[in-house]
Amino acid sequence: MAPSEPSKPAAADSPLVEAFLEKRESLVLFLAARTRSMAMAEDLAQDLYLKIAAMQPGTEIRSPGSLLYRMASNLLVDHVRSAQRARRRDSQWRDDTRTSVGGEEVVEEPSAEQLIVNRERARQLAEAVAGLPPQMGRAFRLNKLEGLTQMQTAEAMGISRKMVEQHIHAAVKNLTRRLGS
Amino acid sequence: MTIISAQAHRAMDEAAGWLARLQRDDVAEADGLAFEAWLTASADNKTAYRTALALWHEFDAAGAEVDAELAARSRREAAGRTTRRQWMVGAGGFGIAAGLAVVVAPALMGGPAIQTLATRRGQRQRYTLADGSTIDLNAETRLRVSFSRSERRVSLDDGEAIFDVTHDAARPFIVAAGERSVRVVGTQFDVRNRQGALTVTVARGKVEVRPAASGPHVYALTPGQRLDVSAAGAERTRFVDPEETFSWRAGRLVYRGEALSDVVADLNRQFPEQIEIADPELGRIPITGVIVLDDPRSVITRLSLMLPIRAVTSGPGLLLLRK
Repeated sequence: MAPSEPSKPAAADSPLVEAFLEKRESLVLFLAARTRSMAMAEDLAQDLYLKIAAMQPGTEIRSPGSLLYRMASNLLVDHVRSAQRARRRDSQWRDDTRTSVGGEEVVEEPSAEQLIVNRERARQLAEAVAGLPPQMGRAFRLNKLEGLTQMQTAEAMGISRKMVEQHIHAAVKNLTRRLGS
Repeated sequence: MTIISAQAHRAMDEAAGWLARLQRDDVAEADGLAFEAWLTASADNKTAYRTALALWHEFDAAGAEVDAELAARSRREAAGRTTRRQWMVGAGGFGIAAGLAVVVAPALMGGPAIQTLATRRGQRQRYTLADGSTIDLNAETRLRVSFSRSERRVSLDDGEAIFDVTHDAARPFIVAAGERSVRVVGTQFDVRNRQGALTVTVARGKVEVRPAASGPHVYALTPGQRLDVSAAGAERTRFVDPEETFSWRAGRLVYRGEALSDVVADLNRQFPEQIEIADPELGRIPITGVIVLDDPRSVITRLSLMLPIRAVTSGPGLLLLRK
């Protein structure tokens, strides 16, 4: 649990805060499906907590669970949108604005050892993706590695969005069986 | 060997399903509530979901490396295919010179020397430029290269080429094609300029397309994006799978609803034996599928299995008729 969250709600009478604390793990795991790391999902959950803690205590809430997931979904929409923007910025950054100081590129490189480990694991991951059936592998690459949304992936492949989702479902199952611990 | 229970197996299947479902663009509270109900229903579910999620995040962390590794693999495969195809071509006696790399000598000192690179009908060729960039020329393509200290300039007068541009922030790489100029720093993309229609497809990096004369429409294309400019000047961007656009390099043409007449025009650039369509209405039939470029007769035989067409020999070429 993040340090700034009270282990006991300060406003013990807020059913929303209580519901949040009770559902916190599920909310984080819900958010994490769309973030690039668990840490980012924790951050979003923290944002969610700050939002509900700031709400008027007297507000009548019929279904705290629905409201929490509605707010979490809205947070995700914003997050995914800005992540896609950042991704584009990133590749632009890599491609045309490498800062150089005295002729040396200023890019933080991982240590040589880290690089070898990552490369070996990346090779394993790539091999597993290459081993997927062609359409499934293509859907996975476009959606997961190229960062296209499900709709964009569907458009690129000329198939339905539902089909893309089925490909991703099967791909995750296949990859987890081969690579997951 | 790990033996997992049927229950854990089902949990893993469901976890993968949830991870996929939560990727929907319009994921909402109903998904969240249903997800929570499933997640908290059993410890197996939670374990399975966390396992799938950890792998999912691993692909985020190592995405660029995995992508690079996959690209290297498909290049190796494409090279393998080319070799096999060459052998087939040899056996069949067809004159398609498949891409042996040609290194273009560095421009001489002084002003930018202009070099012209061109391919004939049925010829595909890879050129390596002085800066290490490579250009794959499709058949019947002509382009001019001039490198100076401040820019790398290529004019694609007619045809199609895949550019794999080495990074050099100080010297942008500019492809002039028709009424547009395509500007990049380091990236991989395909430009097709045929009969006045222009297509730019980006596989990697970022590509800027602007009118040759100053004008309002400047496009910044990102990986997977494609810009089509029709001969009439109508512009449209959409998402495509770059691998499909690039597949001509490996001797395959991929179509999604293109007119038979356009497909035939492409085939006629690849084979000495020219194909003609008897009836313009026949030419409008949409084609979706992959065409392996072995020889025109086999291509047409395979097409005639899917389409109401038949081919008759007509002089040195083939005439397509309605079945």
